[in-house]
Amino acid sequence: MERIAITGIGIVSPSGINKRQFWANIKAGRSFIKEITRFDASLYPSHIAGQIDELNKYSNISERLLKKIDTFSHMALIASELALQDAAIDIKNEDPNLVGIFLGNAIGGWLYAETELRDLYIEGREGVSPYMASAWFPAAPQGQVSIYYGIKGFSKTVVADRAGSLMALGYGAKVLNKNKLNMILAGGMEAPVSPYALLCCNTYGALSKNNSRPQEAYRPFDKKRDGFVIGEGAGIVVMESVERADKRGVKPLAYISGYGTTCDGIDRINCESSGKELARAIKLALVDAKANVDEIGYISLDGAAINLWDDSELQAIKNVFGTRAKDIPVSCPKSMFGNLLGASGAVDMIVAILAMEHNLVPVTLNLDEPGLKGFNYITEEAKEYKIDKALVISRGRGGINSVLVVEK
Amino acid sequence: MQTKEKIKNVLVSLLKVKPEELKDGVSLEESIGVDSTEMVESVIALEKAFGVKLSPKEIAKSSSIDDIAKIINSKISV
Repeated sequence: MERIAITGIGIVSPSGINKRQFWANIKAGRSFIKEITRFDASLYPSHIAGQIDELNKYSNISERLLKKIDTFSHMALIASELALQDAAIDIKNEDPNLVGIFLGNAIGGWLYAETELRDLYIEGREGVSPYMASAWFPAAPQGQVSIYYGIKGFSKTVVADRAGSLMALGYGAKVLNKNKLNMILAGGMEAPVSPYALLCCNTYGALSKNNSRPQEAYRPFDKKRDGFVIGEGAGIVVMESVERADKRGVKPLAYISGYGTTCDGIDRINCESSGKELARAIKLALVDAKANVDEIGYISLDGAAINLWDDSELQAIKNVFGTRAKDIPVSCPKSMFGNLLGASGAVDMIVAILAMEHNLVPVTLNLDEPGLKGFNYITEEAKEYKIDKALVISRGRGGINSVLVVEK
Repeated sequence: MQTKEKIKNVLVSLLKVKPEELKDGVSLEESIGVDSTEMVESVIALEKAFGVKLSPKEIAKSSSIDDIAKIINSKISV
């Protein structure tokens, strides 16, 4: 495909809100996984998370709007504003019919929904806010961003478990390739730190139970891994054609040059053990980017910290990269702030872009002893590498594989 | 408390608008740009606050504080 320019980054995460603060923490390898304090989660098998406590401090959203929306929409609004500011775009000057929104989400807005459902059973139907219907569902943030900025172009929300936001970015890039839109706000948002959402994540059985040592709990690819840790937040970028960015006199932060997606199609929960469909997605993305395996300077790993998922991911990399697999630096920086589920891929891509900008590969935390050897894991501290092209892998439950190639 | 003041207090705390935005003789649509969902919520809140039954036909986006007070007063005095 034709390269698509990324000209603005908006990040709302446990590791920081705005990219400067975020990158400083990622670079330093700081963990933001803590015991959940928003509600009493002590009886849940996993009760640790990457939480955002001071969202209001970074927001200029009115009280009037905030009472109508869930936290995940609030996060998407803040991330969109940061991305637009970073891209130096005043949305008032855009043709609203030619601006689109492509976002990913996995579970919807349960902080809002839970309160209203409780009121339904306690007070009856009149106890339920009329905003419930438009606040909880996964496409609500897309709608709120659209209303807030008056955006009226072709837009989509992708629901594909943890792969949703990377798929939204790929989908958005494909739509821009057809020259049907001028620019797109793309990424994802997730707010799973609520009693019901946390329960669902727990029953999935994929979360770490190492509650006594929160900062050591999320250990992708490590021998002692026992699942991932959830996190909340949003990652949204501004995408536009290279010509348009040039015309605006803006130097792109990076380019999306290839996208590939496949499904394992074998199980409701698990992925396929050999990683062959993930390997196919990687190959599709590389072909799409007209890139060969020697050009990839960094691989951002999905890192679910579950034996089957981690091992099949590495098998797929070995399958595609062959003997080069042992040299390419690989890491899973989300081990620092948690797995943002439907927003994880977009945040991973943002980390990869910042890594390329600074020629610095951030670490995988807690990777003390790899389950599978033969890879260039970056651990302990961020390491300098010249990266021109990076691969970002994001996978969802049941074996959804999505892969993006980004370059500078 | 005057009916009009009480209506304003209900709407201000419910919709999170500023008290000065609500004008006695101006429609809610014009003064605060009320949307249809906010209207549903407002009717329910006013019913609770005044202990009267109100229908969306009686109170709409085009109603002003004066209009709403008139309807509520007529129901209270019955």
